[in-house]
Amino acid sequence: METSEIRAVVREYILKEFLPGEDPEALTDDLQLVSGRILDSLATLRVVAFLEEKFGFEFEAHEVGVQNLDSIDLMVKFVEEKKR
Amino acid sequence: MDFSISEEQKALRDSIVQFARKELNQNLIERDREQQFPRDLWTKCGEMRLPGLAVPEEYGGLGLESLDTAMALEALGYACEDSGLVFSICAHLLPCVVPIVKYGTEEQKRRWLPGLSNGELIAANCMTEPNTGSDAFAMITKAVPDGDGYRITGTKTFSSNGPVADLLVLFALTDAEKRYHGGVTTFLIPRHSEGITVSKKIEKLGLRTSPFGEISLDNVYVGPEAILGGVGGGSTLFAHSMDWERTCLFAFNVGVMERLLEKSVGYARTRQQFGKPISQFPAISAKIADMKVRLEAARLLVYRAAWKLTRSRTVSMDASIAKLFTSEALLTSSLDAVQIHGGYGYSTEYQIERALRDSVGGTIYSGTSEMQRNIIASWLGL
Repeated sequence: METSEIRAVVREYILKEFLPGEDPEALTDDLQLVSGRILDSLATLRVVAFLEEKFGFEFEAHEVGVQNLDSIDLMVKFVEEKKR
Repeated sequence: MDFSISEEQKALRDSIVQFARKELNQNLIERDREQQFPRDLWTKCGEMRLPGLAVPEEYGGLGLESLDTAMALEALGYACEDSGLVFSICAHLLPCVVPIVKYGTEEQKRRWLPGLSNGELIAANCMTEPNTGSDAFAMITKAVPDGDGYRITGTKTFSSNGPVADLLVLFALTDAEKRYHGGVTTFLIPRHSEGITVSKKIEKLGLRTSPFGEISLDNVYVGPEAILGGVGGGSTLFAHSMDWERTCLFAFNVGVMERLLEKSVGYARTRQQFGKPISQFPAISAKIADMKVRLEAARLLVYRAAWKLTRSRTVSMDASIAKLFTSEALLTSSLDAVQIHGGYGYSTEYQIERALRDSVGGTIYSGTSEMQRNIIASWLGL
């Protein structure tokens, strides 16, 4: 899957699940999702489950953190690394 | 979809029921009254490898998969009337031993799992703090780097098995900024490490033979070999533990519900009032029918979540549904059992009132009913 496809899938999921009714333009690729309190702990668990199921890999325990989940950019980068 | 139980599963259940009835129910009224943890019975359970049900055989356990583990704990809950002892086994196995199986290094597994499976060692999970309960990741216990290891300072409370534990599976902040999102790490800490103080056990309403207490850590040094699941892996490890606990611990509750149902049926069929058995009064028979419905519904929810445990990345919502329904169903059925037994149910001698006291905690531990509803709502996108 191309980077642009991964980005589109992640973006659509975040918009639909956590920002319903919001202006899609407001969700920039570098918008801070965890630090900006859009994703709380339960939401993060759902995002992790979604990424694992959608892209067919498993997070190591220590990989579930802001370093990989704080923005769409970081999520896409992480998915690509895990798929490599 | 196949709902049949295999011959192996029947044999497992039968062996546990036979063992528990023969070995685990003596002097229970006194033990409950005195809040005595039965270490000798724990050792006997260890001989059956009950504390290591889900541990692979190569590390000394029974090597059961998740659904079989749930069925085994259901059988134990059914036949062992010491729910405190069963709770202690669950509090040891599900949030302590299972994470070592899943996330432990080979060295950690070799060091800890055999003793934790055969009854030599007892583990206690240390998450809750005096000012954190449902908001668990608001913890203040800190682990500060020191050379290759860490120094940990803080206080944990309501730690099941804490006063009798040999191993603490403890969560501490390694990055206060990140907290849930990579800032919490899990440590395996021998209980007798320098700087650890365990308070006397805390008195409580039910599950009185299962001790829980407060644990203080004052600058406790742990080496790198104590880190479980990597630095910052605490939230994932905790979520995995809760999936197992909210499923398999409540399988034990299903077993208790079946025992209470059988006792209530037996009593209602033999207790005579107004010249006939009280089972012939619809007010009684309807209560018992409702107990049966709750039992069967709870069992299905628990079995489905348990089946998914080793087949899905997370069973968070299924586990919360199973936990919420089963804990509340047990509480309701326990109250019904007391009511059906009347004055005898209210008295200690009949051992029904203890089941009611034991059932109250289920809507609080492993996440309150209110938190389970929050989790379910979150998975629904609310």
